[in-house]
Amino acid sequence: MVNLVLKFAAACREARLRVSTAELIDCMGQLKLIDLLEESQFKAVLRGNFAKSRREQKTFDRLYHLFFHEMRQDLAFDPERSEPGGMAEDLNEMLEGLAEQSENTPVDQAIMDFLAGDPTSYLQEIQRVESQAEASGQGLKSNLGQLSSRLEILMRLNQVRKNIRALVKDSRETPEARGRQGIADHFNERLGTAQAMLSEDNRPYNEALKQVHTHDIHYPDLGEKPFASLTAREIQDMRETIEVLVRKLKDAATRRFIARSKGVLDVKQTIRQSARYQGVPLELKFKDRPLRKAKIVALCDVSGSVWSAARFMLNMIYSLQDCFSGVSSFAFVCAPTNITDIFDKNEVNQAIEKIMTQTDITFDALTDYGEVFYQFHRDYLHLLNKRTTLIIVGDGRSNYHHPRENLLEAMRARCRRVVWLNPEPEEFWNSGDSEMLTYMAYCHEARPCRNLNQLIDFIEDLMLV
Amino acid sequence: MEFESVEDVQQKLAAANYISSREIATVVFLAVATGKPILVEGPAGSGKTELARALSRCLKRDKIRLQCYEGLDEAKALYEWEYAKQLLYTQMIKGKINDLLAATDSIAEAVERIAEQENAFFSERFLLARPLLQAISADHPVVLLIDEVDKSDPEFEAFLLELLSEFQVSIPELGIRKARHIPLVILTSNNYRDMSDALKRRCIHLYIDYPQRELEKRIVELKLPGIEKHLVEKLVAIINRIRELDLKKRPCISETLDWAQALMVLQADDLSPATVSETLNVICKYRADTHMVRAHMDRLFE
Repeated sequence: MVNLVLKFAAACREARLRVSTAELIDCMGQLKLIDLLEESQFKAVLRGNFAKSRREQKTFDRLYHLFFHEMRQDLAFDPERSEPGGMAEDLNEMLEGLAEQSENTPVDQAIMDFLAGDPTSYLQEIQRVESQAEASGQGLKSNLGQLSSRLEILMRLNQVRKNIRALVKDSRETPEARGRQGIADHFNERLGTAQAMLSEDNRPYNEALKQVHTHDIHYPDLGEKPFASLTAREIQDMRETIEVLVRKLKDAATRRFIARSKGVLDVKQTIRQSARYQGVPLELKFKDRPLRKAKIVALCDVSGSVWSAARFMLNMIYSLQDCFSGVSSFAFVCAPTNITDIFDKNEVNQAIEKIMTQTDITFDALTDYGEVFYQFHRDYLHLLNKRTTLIIVGDGRSNYHHPRENLLEAMRARCRRVVWLNPEPEEFWNSGDSEMLTYMAYCHEARPCRNLNQLIDFIEDLMLV
Repeated sequence: MEFESVEDVQQKLAAANYISSREIATVVFLAVATGKPILVEGPAGSGKTELARALSRCLKRDKIRLQCYEGLDEAKALYEWEYAKQLLYTQMIKGKINDLLAATDSIAEAVERIAEQENAFFSERFLLARPLLQAISADHPVVLLIDEVDKSDPEFEAFLLELLSEFQVSIPELGIRKARHIPLVILTSNNYRDMSDALKRRCIHLYIDYPQRELEKRIVELKLPGIEKHLVEKLVAIINRIRELDLKKRPCISETLDWAQALMVLQADDLSPATVSETLNVICKYRADTHMVRAHMDRLFE
């Protein structure tokens, strides 16, 4: 029993679940208390201890099914226990036969282990493939490396399948042939599972994702026009509207702060003050709560595909920087550029002009979100902490580059909230080269933002929660 | 041990008006047996808070609730000195203090005298216990519900950690207070933000999903005795179809119950598109959702 759970825990760790030793100990202690013969109880114990949030449950459920249903641990062979002539001996024989023919590479070894009922090393291989791009870093500009590694595993799987067929064929004349055929079927089934695992997507459950589909109509005409189809005159109008709006919101936020931050009586201070009036507490002092030091980190896509919206988004980020104390802003096409300083020192139009002309953003390059996340993760991760809201503005169109969503996940783990604003209408999300669906699984909130009304809604939400 | 087996948990919870799935019962059983807190996640209205209430009913323990919000601090959650009372008392016993100091010659001596009486001012009498301290120092074991822990600040979460692992708090003036009985702690989260690994580590995790159809039927029948069987059947079927739509807020079990109650009040004994349309406001909390359901009305009645 202990071994089985340990093996399962090892497999879970390979699939990036955090299972600590303490959790294992808890789990073993709890297994003693329940009725082991009932699966729902057994599963509930493992699930309650190994997957500690809804997001992790998907991986857990997948592994649990693989490990306890598909792998059928009762068949796991233990060479010492196998009876002569039994099924287990046949299995071992066949495995040995296959092992002889396989090459001595980690991939082959992992496949053999998988056939023998231990998925840990195979999971490790898959994990290695998925995180390959992380390690190789800057030079890699496509997801081909990852793809070819997948292909390699796939080819090895096929090779093993061929070997099985050959083995069965060889022994067709012998009396054990029928038993062998059964085992071969069993192996083929497992190979099928292994293959499916290679191509399945393992996005976490993200039911808590806040998605905003509708918006209030603040301005009937101008507010509904997409940023892309505005005339020069309307652009001017829009800027003015945003300015007024920001001023209003600032007032509202200040009023709210004054009302909300009124704290309880500060006795220490009051008594100290009262000394000036011979011990009569004339001046009351209150413990005012400090202003929430919300920090915002904004990443804004300024590439060609969102060109028309980019100026407004920059405009919005500029106004955010005006409202909140700790805003860091970045613009990117294929690498993040820090534009906080430019925003701080210039008036809004000049600032945007400067960003468009004087920074080292390569506007003619292809957008690459994966690379942007990689560089951001490498250089600016220290900006994110549990008080930070990370706002990403962009269409998620990454030109079929590797999306590297695991980096976004790592960033999510560091900050308070991740909000994605997409200047495309929702119907187009995840069409073509858009990776929106992939990224959405790692956001706390995703909303379209393509006209003024939606923008206003968002800013109000952000300021007044 | 308060529960004998997982079945026992299920039965006792049912007796306390809470129908639980096998998974919920198992986790509750383990939490009670091992004294570990439960971290409950799930969509709003799926019965997270109700679980704590039901547990307090069937274990016959008091329930102490701490609602978390942004800016919640130790003074509101743990304890506070009642300064006003302290000031009042010092005023009232001024004479006594003067007597005490009458015989002293120097200021140093006077301070010494006062210091001897310090305990009188920083004692239980002036301590205002907030939910967490109440739960720890209660005479009988209690159920402690820490609601919406995801709304609290990271600092508060760190502070909770200490409490949940040691079940003791230190009050500088009084020393360390150890729990007399380990309370059954239930933390709920709506996943507004992710909880820290350290906190998750200390809890058994439980996710309460939308209930299975059969379970939902049983819940409605339990909570609203006297409701027509075929109405429940239809109601639950339609709710389940509504959940399949792409809504802003999918109706949970609490909405199902509200709806069933509304239908009973209206004395509707059958569901037609017209009745659904009229009572939709009970299930849908957003205007856009109402429109969406109306637009798909024919699909609900297939």
